[in-house]
Amino acid sequence: MNIKESDRGWQSGMAKSITFIVTKDCQLACKYCYLVGKNTKERMSWEVAKQAIDYILDREEEFREESVIWDFIGGEPFLEIDLIDKICDYLKTEMYRRNHHWFNSYRFSFSTNGINYHTEKVQRFIEKNRNHLSIGITIDGTQRKHDLNRIWKTPEMEQGIAPKPEEERGSYKDVVKNIPLWLEQFPGASTKVTISSADIPYIKESVLHLYSLGIKEVNINCVFEDVWKDGDDKLFEEQLTELADAIIDGRLYEDHACSFFMEHIGKPMDRERDNQNWCGAGMMLAVDAAGMFYPCTRFAQYSLRSKPAWIIGNIHDGIDKNKLRPFLTLDRCTQSNEECINCEVASGCAWCQGENFDAADTHTVYQRSTAICKMHKARVRANNYYWNKLFRKLELQEYEEQKRKSNHPACEL
Amino acid sequence: MLQYLIILLDEASVPYCHSLNPTPSPMGEPRLIPLDTLRAGIVFAMKENLNIQFVYPTRSLPDEYEAAIESIDHTKIKPEVLSGEADVLVLTGWETAKAEELDGATCILHTSRSELQKHLAKVQELLSRVARLNVVLTDIEEFKDEDADAYSQMLDALSDCLIEQFRQGRMVQLNLLTDRLLLTEMNNCGAGDTNVTLAPNGKFYLCPAFYHEDANQSVGDLTTGLNIKNKQLLRLDHAPICRHCDAYQCRRCIWMNGRLTLDANTPSHQQCVIAHLERNASRSLMQKMQAEGIRMRDARPIDEINYLDPFNNYKQWK
Repeated sequence: MNIKESDRGWQSGMAKSITFIVTKDCQLACKYCYLVGKNTKERMSWEVAKQAIDYILDREEEFREESVIWDFIGGEPFLEIDLIDKICDYLKTEMYRRNHHWFNSYRFSFSTNGINYHTEKVQRFIEKNRNHLSIGITIDGTQRKHDLNRIWKTPEMEQGIAPKPEEERGSYKDVVKNIPLWLEQFPGASTKVTISSADIPYIKESVLHLYSLGIKEVNINCVFEDVWKDGDDKLFEEQLTELADAIIDGRLYEDHACSFFMEHIGKPMDRERDNQNWCGAGMMLAVDAAGMFYPCTRFAQYSLRSKPAWIIGNIHDGIDKNKLRPFLTLDRCTQSNEECINCEVASGCAWCQGENFDAADTHTVYQRSTAICKMHKARVRANNYYWNKLFRKLELQEYEEQKRKSNHPACEL
Repeated sequence: MLQYLIILLDEASVPYCHSLNPTPSPMGEPRLIPLDTLRAGIVFAMKENLNIQFVYPTRSLPDEYEAAIESIDHTKIKPEVLSGEADVLVLTGWETAKAEELDGATCILHTSRSELQKHLAKVQELLSRVARLNVVLTDIEEFKDEDADAYSQMLDALSDCLIEQFRQGRMVQLNLLTDRLLLTEMNNCGAGDTNVTLAPNGKFYLCPAFYHEDANQSVGDLTTGLNIKNKQLLRLDHAPICRHCDAYQCRRCIWMNGRLTLDANTPSHQQCVIAHLERNASRSLMQKMQAEGIRMRDARPIDEINYLDPFNNYKQWK
């Protein structure tokens, strides 16, 4: 039996993730984007990037992880391809010159909207770093689903004026044209799809559409923010159930994966044995244009609606380890309420530490947001349906196979 | 469970813990708590079954205030410069503290480590008179790992001062060294958990430090009642480092936690190391007492440990 599983990612759990927030600008203004403070002004300078790199590489004994993922994020990171190219050249040179243990155990990672993917500069960069690159292009599915949220930014938006619906321009066509080139260069690449309330009716068609574009792995999740309306969970469950039918009936499970369907989610969790934190905030490091360090990008001011940035230091004074202690001691139960701890379908219910902090009643990372609760439960029901149906199908197939074999005379006496 | 209500009688009530010095009132003279507010605070405490601790300023109170205070069972925390009876005296300076006038008193002393070192003779003098001395270090935030040896040596010297008193049969208490001998579980500041503070503006705060830092950090008022959000995070069982710790005498100051680690339930490295140096010094004190045949009622043995910051063990807990 062949069931494709989701890729766990390069050096999963063993790599330090270090993120450069190279710009807070983006060509798009996606409606579900959690980056509430995007702007055109905060672009990282080479001096800041170099100081951040020197700070990190100078402290090899403090960064003991086996490998490193140098991550570039925005806004849209490829808007700063010249800076990124310079950063990556410097990183390679310095890791080699210092005989750093990360040399030859590194990746450059990008999450991009894909619009500039085909440009000469980006392609030259890809060619130069091909063997150490992970690039994810975000495409949300069918054109109507993608264009519902992922719209071009207008000059008026920078003044806080939203465009009229008829003036909105979707970005699907500008992205989809680059998908073949991307898949040619990264055949196993996956895409990340975000689901907000308005997207729910288009989930099934979108995942199937992405498969039809040649993308074998679709990582998809509901936004963690409190955006869900009454009835969204029912609709979501219906969409996932229909998607399950399509994947199983079309035998797509053999060489495609969709992160909504995972065998081990939806089970109770033990208070002690299953007490790990979900999120890697604090184990990661992010630096922005001002040279400030954060436990992850979600704690930078441009990501926060209602809390001040959680700054853990800067490139001049270094990291204040006191401000990392709350993250490194986080566990599941201390931050969860009793309902979550005792939930019978708890496993696989995710959280984002940044969203928890932003939504918390006090200045803490120890209050788990439960906005996603009903959506997780709906997902679990559809997931149970998926695996029950799939296993029954495979069981019957196997039975038929056995029967066929047993009806066949094994040997002539 | 809430047990105590601390009432600040004045904007300039004397700091008795890891609090900031009161900010001067923008209107000029610091203001007394309005009499109606004081009375309402007392009624609130009576209805909630809370013991009241009144915190005095350095000036005398009008008679009607004293009458209101005496209407309920209470504890008085006063600066030592103020006359009249007190349960706890806050020493406001090395020079003004007169040991001969402090016989049998419970005193609080704010000091930096360097000042404490400089005035060890004065501490010895105080220990010869008082029943209990609570030392509140004012420079925990500035503590560095390289200061550990010097602090241990100072605690050792204080330990010798105590032994000297014990030899004479005076079982005086010094919070930094004797509390850990007697405790079998965490006994920390309890702000927002076992106690809450009523400020002169009629609003509740987790502790006086929150009021002095920013009066907008209130957790309710006398009209609407208490509203402590994420109250569970102020409890020991929701403090991942502290619940694994046996430096039972640690202040576990949640106000300082917020300042240094940005989360109320997480102590700073400095606070942990200082508390463990004190814990280990308490262990040495006990060994000295045993060597001298000095017995302290209810004192318990303290295990030897090989760390100063329990945070370094966090991977073992997960």
